Amino acid sequence: MSAAVQDNRSDRIDALRKTGGGNWFLRISSLLVFSGIAWAWLGSGPLMGRLSAERRWTNFQNFLGELVPSPVRKSGNWSDAFPWAWELIVDEGFVALMTTFGIATAAIILSAVLVTPLLPLASRQLSRLHPFEVWSGKESKAMRMLYRALGPVVRFGFVIARSIPEYLIAFLLLSLLGLQVWPLVLALAIHNLGILGRLWGEVVENAEPDAPQQAIGSGQGRLGAFAGTLFPMSFNRFLIYFFYRWETCVKDATVLGMLGLLTLGKLIALAKGFFWDQMLFYILLGASVILVGDLFSTFLRRKLR
Amino acid sequence: MTHDSQRYGRRRWVVLGIGLVFLVCAWSLGLSPAGLIPPDATHWERTGNFFAAALDPAFDYEDENVPDDADPIWWKGLKGVFLTLKFAFGAMSLAVPAALVMGFLGSSAWWPEPCGKKLRFFLQTVYGTSRFVMSFLRSIHELIWALLILSAIGMSPLAGMIALALPFSGTLGKVFSELIDEETRDASQSLKAIGHGPLQTFLVGIFPAALPNLITYSFYRFECALRSSAVLGFVGIETIGLYIQLSHEEFYYREVWTYLYLLLGLIILVDFWGAGIRKRLQATGGGCQA
Repeated sequence: MSAAVQDNRSDRIDALRKTGGGNWFLRISSLLVFSGIAWAWLGSGPLMGRLSAERRWTNFQNFLGELVPSPVRKSGNWSDAFPWAWELIVDEGFVALMTTFGIATAAIILSAVLVTPLLPLASRQLSRLHPFEVWSGKESKAMRMLYRALGPVVRFGFVIARSIPEYLIAFLLLSLLGLQVWPLVLALAIHNLGILGRLWGEVVENAEPDAPQQAIGSGQGRLGAFAGTLFPMSFNRFLIYFFYRWETCVKDATVLGMLGLLTLGKLIALAKGFFWDQMLFYILLGASVILVGDLFSTFLRRKLR
Repeated sequence: MTHDSQRYGRRRWVVLGIGLVFLVCAWSLGLSPAGLIPPDATHWERTGNFFAAALDPAFDYEDENVPDDADPIWWKGLKGVFLTLKFAFGAMSLAVPAALVMGFLGSSAWWPEPCGKKLRFFLQTVYGTSRFVMSFLRSIHELIWALLILSAIGMSPLAGMIALALPFSGTLGKVFSELIDEETRDASQSLKAIGHGPLQTFLVGIFPAALPNLITYSFYRFECALRSSAVLGFVGIETIGLYIQLSHEEFYYREVWTYLYLLLGLIILVDFWGAGIRKRLQATGGGCQA
């Protein structure tokens, strides 16, 4: 066994040992987590709600019966389900699917465009008085203060943006902007701005520092160094995250329709309670599209890696 | 070299293509800059009120019909926060064990070597099936699972937890299986070489090494579960989302902001807690899963 490998392994052992017990923060955290779980299961209130078990069982059986497509229920022949399904797709399903895709795509592109200029401001290496430890330009107290605050403020902005669930943002914006597509696009874009800010920010932090250091040392500004070195270097990794988030956006856009716009979510919400068979069909339609999107984005990410 | 420069040469086309796709989407959805401002005077007034209320959150109910002996609003808000936490804890305690089982079945690091043809075929079937089940679980959004389950077994806290746990176990399981497979195979290969069975190899050689990454990722998903649990309020489960919806319907924007600030506070707190855990566990994996 070579010395390098040996070293490597003992590093790994050290790392593992550090992660073992003995850290007060981790101990308290695990205590909190386990008491949280115990409280969730044993805490106040009946877990199963107030209905009796028999009542719930009959409800459940009725519900299962209602899930069978209505023509099949009448004739007992599953081949009758195909024209029924086709009609649902032609009628509204296809348009709803395209709207869902459109909203997700527009939103993720919008947040990518908005987050890019914020990245140099959020970077721990660039957004400081001496970027990449290179001394550049005059030093003043005001600039020092500005740079000390800038990075943390932008990064905290990202935290806030990703903290609010997109469904909640869309709900609030819909009442302010009226019933149209923008609130959904904006809601997804704001939430994903925070997430891309963190993911892309990490890519920028982890990039090889040589090239940007050279750029700054040879007199380029922070923006120049970002646009000329860090951005192109990180491009492929950016795309990987971009497609990963796009995939999530498609899923979320489906559901945002429940707030009243023509995506699959609206069809699902409308069918609920009256046409359970249609609801299940739309749900499965959405799921199959997401499965395909999932495969597509896995394929793209593998190619970019 | 040529290969690299060719690869980088495509960047401009990717950026242009993405721009073009945006234009196509905007055109087909009918997005125009005019839609970004409130459409009429009532909406303008509402927007003004809404953002003014952000600076002036309610410390007392805006509704005059609330009885005097009701809990004060901050207490109700805190209760909502705790209920949100409770659902997230309950859901994760169901999702993580399920995800561990599915993640184990959906990974290949523990497969015995050498492996007979029949056994290999069997293992590959198990692998494929569990991968498919996980994809299916996470391809349906938690709100839709909630609709389905609430309709099937009626409204109850357990139904909410299960609705959250199903898609989360799919996502967790997929990432678990990837983290398990990405772990270095030195230890497991040595164990296999001295005659350990597959399960022993997994439990002794792979699982402990992958554990920091698994915990870090589970904690990240816990943050997501909190957000989703708040949103479950919109289908009627009692979390802070329900309070936000009810106050919003009555145009009590100041109350909405009180609840929003409490929810934000909770999620940011947990975000920092997670960052602390990540740092101390020195997890290496879990790149693509924020």
